[in-house]
Amino acid sequence: MSPPTHIFTKFKNFLTLSGEISALFYNAIKCSFSRPFYLNRLADQIKNLGVGSISITIVIGLTMGLIMTLNFGYGLKKFGGVLYVPSVVSLSLAREMAPFFTSLIIAGRIGSGIAAEIGAMNVTQQVDAIRALGTSPLRVLVVPRFWASVLSLPLLTTLSFALGILGGLIVCMSEFDMSVGFYFHKVFWTVRPEDYISGLVKSGVFGGIISILACHKALKTRDGTRGVGDTTTWVVVSSSICILITNFFISKLFLVFWGQ
Amino acid sequence: MARDPILTLKNIHKSFVKNQIHKGVDLELQKGETLGLLGGSGTGKSVLLRSIIGLEFIDKGEIHYNGRRIDDLTEVELQKIRIKVSYSFQSGALFDSSSVFDNIAYPLFEHTCYSLSEIQSKVSDVLKLVRLEGKEELMPSDLSGGMQKRVGMARAIIMEPEIILYDEPTAGLDPSNIENVVEVMQKLKGMGHAGIFVTHDIPSALKLCDRIAILHEGKIIFNDTPKELKSSTDSRISSFITNEEVNHGNQTYG
Repeated sequence: MSPPTHIFTKFKNFLTLSGEISALFYNAIKCSFSRPFYLNRLADQIKNLGVGSISITIVIGLTMGLIMTLNFGYGLKKFGGVLYVPSVVSLSLAREMAPFFTSLIIAGRIGSGIAAEIGAMNVTQQVDAIRALGTSPLRVLVVPRFWASVLSLPLLTTLSFALGILGGLIVCMSEFDMSVGFYFHKVFWTVRPEDYISGLVKSGVFGGIISILACHKALKTRDGTRGVGDTTTWVVVSSSICILITNFFISKLFLVFWGQ
Repeated sequence: MARDPILTLKNIHKSFVKNQIHKGVDLELQKGETLGLLGGSGTGKSVLLRSIIGLEFIDKGEIHYNGRRIDDLTEVELQKIRIKVSYSFQSGALFDSSSVFDNIAYPLFEHTCYSLSEIQSKVSDVLKLVRLEGKEELMPSDLSGGMQKRVGMARAIIMEPEIILYDEPTAGLDPSNIENVVEVMQKLKGMGHAGIFVTHDIPSALKLCDRIAILHEGKIIFNDTPKELKSSTDSRISSFITNEEVNHGNQTYG
C-alpha cells in the first residue's frame, strides 16, 4: 500500500470510528429518556464502578495533596511565598489536578473493567443472547454504565479534592507551622464555586468518554480471549489520550466563560 | 401443503466478505412442525438461524413470519418478533454472572408484569420440563455442558414462543445427555411449539423431525420427510449421510 493510500485508509477508519462512537453516544442519551428504565442495573453499576473506586480515590487524593503541597511549599519558601501555598494547592486541585488525575487513574480501572466484562460477554455470545431474548444491549449494558460513570466520577473527584485539601493541611501544619484556621481561610478565600464546578463538569465529561469508548470497543470485540485483551488495552490507552486532549479544550472553554 | 406456513424464507443470499454462504435458500415451516436442517460444517446452517431473528443481516431475499415480512424490520421492531421466535444457542450462551434462576427469569422480568412468586413458579415448571428441578441457585459454571444447553432451552421457551430455533443442541454431548435433550425437544414439540433443529446428529433428527432439509453449497438440495431421506438415491445426499456417519461415530439411523 502506497503512503498516501495508507494515510487515506487510516483517516477513513478514524472517521468511521468517530461516527460509530458518536452514534452510540447519541443512542445512549436517547434511550436514557424512554422506557424501560434499568434503575437497578444503574444502581449496580454505581456500586461497581463508583463505590468500588473509593479506595483508589482515597490514595490518589491524599497523596496528590501531600506531594503538591510539599513541592509548592519548599519551592515558594525560597521566595518567601509559603503563605500562598494553600491558595495554589487548592486552586490547582479544584480546577485541574483532582478531576484530571482521578479520571485518568479511574479510566484504567473502570475502562478496563467495562471493556473486559462486555468484551467477554460478546465473544461468548451473551450479548447476542440479550438481543435474542428481545432486549437491547444498548439499554441493558451501555446506558447503565454510561450514567454510572457520568455520575460517579464527579463524586469521586469531590472525594479526591477533599482528601487533597486534607493532605495539603497535613503538610502545611507539619512542615510549615501553619494553623488550621489560616489554611482553610486561604482555601475558601481562593477557590470560587465556579472553580469547583468546572472540575465536576470535567470529570463528568471524562466519565462519559471512558464509558462510551469502552462499551463501543467491547461490543465490537472478536477473536476470543485475545480479542478481549486487545480491547482492554485499546480502551485504557484511548480513553487516557482522549482525557488529555479533552481536558485542554474544556479548561480553555471555562476560562473563556468564567475568566481566570 | 395447503396450510399457510408460519415462517417462510425466500431466496436468501448471505455472504461474509468474499465467501458466499447462502445462494438462494428457500424454506418453509408449518405450525407445530419440527424441521431438521442438516448440512456439512461451514455450510451456513447457524447463520441461517441467526438471520431469521435478525442477529445477522441477509444480503438479499425475504423472511416472513406469520405473513409479515421481518427481514427489513428495525432492531426495536425485531425485539417483539424475538419473543415469539426464540433461539437456543449452541453454547447455551448463559449469562455467566447470573444464577440459573436469573438466566431463565430474565425474559419474564423484561417483558411481563408477573409477580416474583409467579416468576418463581414459572421458572420451577420449566426447570421440571428440562429435568433440572431444584437447580435454580446454581451458577452456569457449576453445570455440565448438557445441563447448560438445557438451561439455555429453558430460557428460550419460558416466554412460550411459537417457534424455537435450536442451534446444534446435541453437539458435543454424550449419548445420555443427547437423549435428555431430544426428550425435552420432543416434549416441546408435543406442546405445539414449531422448531428448526440445526444438527449433525442424523439419528436424533430422524427421530424428532417431521421434515428434513439439507443445505449444501448455499442451497437446499433436499426438503422432504425422514422416510424420503432414507430412500433418497441422490448421490450428494447419500454421500453427505455417509460422511456424517463416519464423522459422528457410525451411528445407525434406520
